[in-house]
Amino acid sequence: MSLLEVENARVAFPTARGLLTAVDGVSLSVDEGRVLGIVGESGSGKSVLSRAIMGLLPRSARTGEAMRIRLGGRELGALPERELRRLRGREMAMIFQDPMTALNPVMTLGDQIGESLRLHLGMGRRQARDRSVELLAAVGLPQPATRVDQHPHQLSGGMRQRVAIAIALACDPRLLIADEPTTALDVTVQHGILDLLQAQSRERGMAMILITHDLGVVAGRADEVAVMYAGRVVEQAPTRALFAAASMPYTRGLLASIPRIEDAPGRRLEAIGGRPPDLVSPPAGCAFSPRCAHASDLCRRQAPGLEDGGATRFACWHPALEAAE
Amino acid sequence: MNALLRRAGRLAVVLAVVTLITFLLVAALPGDVALDIAGADATEQEVAEIRAEIGLDRSLAVRYLDWVSGIVTGDWGQSWRTGERVWDAIAQRVPASLELMVLAQIIAVSLAIPAALLCARAPDGRVDRAIGFLAFGSVSMPSFMTAVLLILLFSLTLGWLPATGYEPLSAGLWENLRPMILPALSLALVEWTALMRTLRAEMIGVLQENYIALARAKGMSDRRILVVHALRPSSFSMITLLGLQVGRLMGGSIIIEQIFGIPGVGRLLVTSVFSRDFMMIQGCVTFFALAYVLANFCTDLAYARLDPRVRGLGGKAGAHG
Repeated sequence: MSLLEVENARVAFPTARGLLTAVDGVSLSVDEGRVLGIVGESGSGKSVLSRAIMGLLPRSARTGEAMRIRLGGRELGALPERELRRLRGREMAMIFQDPMTALNPVMTLGDQIGESLRLHLGMGRRQARDRSVELLAAVGLPQPATRVDQHPHQLSGGMRQRVAIAIALACDPRLLIADEPTTALDVTVQHGILDLLQAQSRERGMAMILITHDLGVVAGRADEVAVMYAGRVVEQAPTRALFAAASMPYTRGLLASIPRIEDAPGRRLEAIGGRPPDLVSPPAGCAFSPRCAHASDLCRRQAPGLEDGGATRFACWHPALEAAE
Repeated sequence: MNALLRRAGRLAVVLAVVTLITFLLVAALPGDVALDIAGADATEQEVAEIRAEIGLDRSLAVRYLDWVSGIVTGDWGQSWRTGERVWDAIAQRVPASLELMVLAQIIAVSLAIPAALLCARAPDGRVDRAIGFLAFGSVSMPSFMTAVLLILLFSLTLGWLPATGYEPLSAGLWENLRPMILPALSLALVEWTALMRTLRAEMIGVLQENYIALARAKGMSDRRILVVHALRPSSFSMITLLGLQVGRLMGGSIIIEQIFGIPGVGRLLVTSVFSRDFMMIQGCVTFFALAYVLANFCTDLAYARLDPRVRGLGGKAGAHG
């Protein structure tokens, strides 16, 4: 049994123009201690999916009736809010995109980390503070004993993201969801944060969902990658296999748009033409068909299902089964 | 240090303007004080003597400068009517006024905070609308009207609280508070609404912040998120308003002290106006201006305590102050 099992996740938001389907029937699973990368451009539903898993959707969200999310075998949708709160922060934790706004500006770092320890693990004030210092040291914050009493504005963005990681790790969760953890950071800092996440995940045997719009982030870090487009998983494969031979034209487009150091100077970067579809009134058939060079009448008429082909799954009528050129 | 000097400079300008305007207004009052004192059948000679005695025979400029220099050195002048020193008269009445206003603010804040929390939790929900409706009714009624209704209900009908009177603190805490409750409530029922609306609006914004989402992700309860995570960063506008409202509160207290027979500075001012006690009027108004500036200075200090980001900017002085 997998640690996390998501079945048929469906989330929609009422808007002035109609119902916006942000997540449209996603099923995936994460095994204990494994790292799943979820890749997609903005609006592909990856963040909404992560909030659905955490049970942190806004009140206005409508979820599908067939949606099942199980953590360690427990069906989260069936749990009362009190029980769910006990899991949040303790069994599953989350890191947000923008570290500049993810920390409370008027609380000390120690209070923000210690809060979880005291609530979930029942630690006393002193004990929580000592543990907070240890956690800050573990995430590579210099002078943790001084920093613990400081406020977020006294730290740089990268340092704040390290604090956010310390908060997430506080109660040794079994699952960590990192939603674009490095997108808002300087390139030079990104590597350090990703390495830290990977190291902590290995050390603690903690499963991780690494959400990003950048395939380069999951390369070499995720065991498996799921590519999302217009609220659906369109391809899922072990990372190595995906990079070696993507089947779905969208994934191939994403791979082609990664700049490579061996490219000749002045070479134009490949880009996927067109724009992501309108999720209030998505195109008939495959959502990617308007932007796809291989689209046929079949694609425009009927959406392909996610074919289960063992380790690799993809949703496409005309997959490129040969290796990418 | 620099900020402190600037503040002191601003205080001087405010006081100069306030004293000058007060002085001119009082001087422009129709009638002749000396004539009043002397009585209708006094001779011109007698009136002139009285005028010289209370210093009204000098030019406006000389009188103003004389009075202002007195304010600065601590001599606020003397009432021609009772012979009382102005400063002593004010100082004697400050406790009652201060207690009234502080109590009113405490009641207003303790109504505003829980109400705002309930509203911000589900904006436009049933609770939010009900509280908004209540607040609207409450603010629509002037404090003297509220006062009369409160007296009608709690003093005359129920007989729980006295309608008038004042007991010093030395008479015991409850004895002192009892007659203060209705007047303070009358003022608070006007003041709490603006505080509540301000806090509610800012809190709705704060609840959208990422750090609130993080607090939820940490498994914190709704109540804890509202009180521990959202209240402090939401309260800055309310704190500012709290300082600004001191002005309105002082205006309101003048009427309320009159209605409830509280021997405060506001009542002293009213009596002085009726008896044309010009030194006392000038003193009271100057005192109100001073109190207002001081209250807003305290507001700034509270700001620094609540927001660690301001502490850093204000230099070390604010950090532990």
